[in-house]
Amino acid sequence: MIDDKVILLVEDNPADERLTLRALGKNNIGNEVVVARDGVEALDYLFARGNHAGRDSTVLPAVVLLDLNLPKVNGIEVLQQIRANERTKLLPVIILTSSDEDKDRLAGYISGCNSYVQKPVNFNQFADAVRQLGLYWLILNKPPPQTGR
Amino acid sequence: MTRLPTFDDIFAVMSAASVGINAARVAVPEDPPLDDLATRFAIAVNLLLDDLAFRAAEAEAAHQVTQTELERMVAERTLELARANQELEAFSYSVAHDLRAPLRSIDGFSQMLLEDYADKLDAEGKGYLQQVRGSAQQMGRLIDDLLMLSRVTRSELRHKRVDLTALARSVLARLQKNEPERRAELVVSDGLVADGDAGLLGIVLENLLGNAWKFTGRCPMARIEFGARHEQGRPVFFVRDNGAGFDMAYADKLFGVFQRLHSAAEFEGTGIGLATVQRIIQRHGGRVWVEGEVGRGATFFFTLNEEAQ
Repeated sequence: MIDDKVILLVEDNPADERLTLRALGKNNIGNEVVVARDGVEALDYLFARGNHAGRDSTVLPAVVLLDLNLPKVNGIEVLQQIRANERTKLLPVIILTSSDEDKDRLAGYISGCNSYVQKPVNFNQFADAVRQLGLYWLILNKPPPQTGR
Repeated sequence: MTRLPTFDDIFAVMSAASVGINAARVAVPEDPPLDDLATRFAIAVNLLLDDLAFRAAEAEAAHQVTQTELERMVAERTLELARANQELEAFSYSVAHDLRAPLRSIDGFSQMLLEDYADKLDAEGKGYLQQVRGSAQQMGRLIDDLLMLSRVTRSELRHKRVDLTALARSVLARLQKNEPERRAELVVSDGLVADGDAGLLGIVLENLLGNAWKFTGRCPMARIEFGARHEQGRPVFFVRDNGAGFDMAYADKLFGVFQRLHSAAEFEGTGIGLATVQRIIQRHGGRVWVEGEVGRGATFFFTLNEEAQ
């Protein structure tokens, strides 16, 4: 039952958002993708507050694709808040970013990301990376059990 | 003390002063009679020693000021350097993120055009889009190489004994694995070692051996050698190939950033690799130079830790 798994894409760049959605579509990954365009929106969605108040907060995405360079609250801070909260601390988070700088990778893993993937410039490679991420995280990987059901 | 000083007393004090007992003075009673020769000499010697002591103290004070001044200048320069390094790091970081995203966009949307509008584009139109994609990807490689160059300049050197023979063999094995159809004679001397940062020396060999591999691509009997010869008790490492070579007239341009001696049509590349190699070798206190001939190949020589020898 992979189709009811939701992907939370946290990405502020509209071009990258478009390309990621296309790459997911190309690989027949038909899951619902929720897009948050900055760190605050991502956290609002996860904790069912602000613009997302009223959402059933016990339902969490199967995986979060997190960009690091976000306005307002940056990717690492979002990750830290996800890990600090009882309800979301086990959520699989994959950092998907342009940077391959050591300090970003270190910060990512120290803050508890599950995986770190660099977005290639070459679109075919990017689409292939997304395909592999989809196959692994939505099909092969078993997410933590949903709590509060 | 009531006794008048004698010439023996004066001699004793002068001997003491000459071995650094600077406080030694001849004992002279208050209100001394000035018609006594020894007394007058004793007073004169005391005055001289006081004067010398005074000048020594002044010189010391002046020296102290210079010391403090120098230390302040060093601290200031170190701070400036740390700030410049920080700025460079921030700049490189921006480059990593902010230049790559638009390139991805250029490449991605060109690809989308090719896919979604394939039936509306003729071969020429498709060709234009491939050009756009090619350029975006080339720029991506340039960014990667520039970032590497900047990292190499900034990073801390971690010194240890590095097995260059093993490193070279693994680099060559990887090159061969990526192009299994190529046949080349690969020669690596045994027992080549050096003191240095393993990661950075790995980059040097990847660049030099990678270049040798690339520029012998058209050679029917390619030969690449990594070895060392000894000059004045110090090893001079070399990477030699029998490939395309280059005109020695342009030898000094080879190490400049973005400098290439072959057109992109002949051999692909970014022109940054050798600048990176030079930077690393310099950071290891060594030198790198090259000899070559058009059509006969090239030999890159390098030394490390020249001071330490």
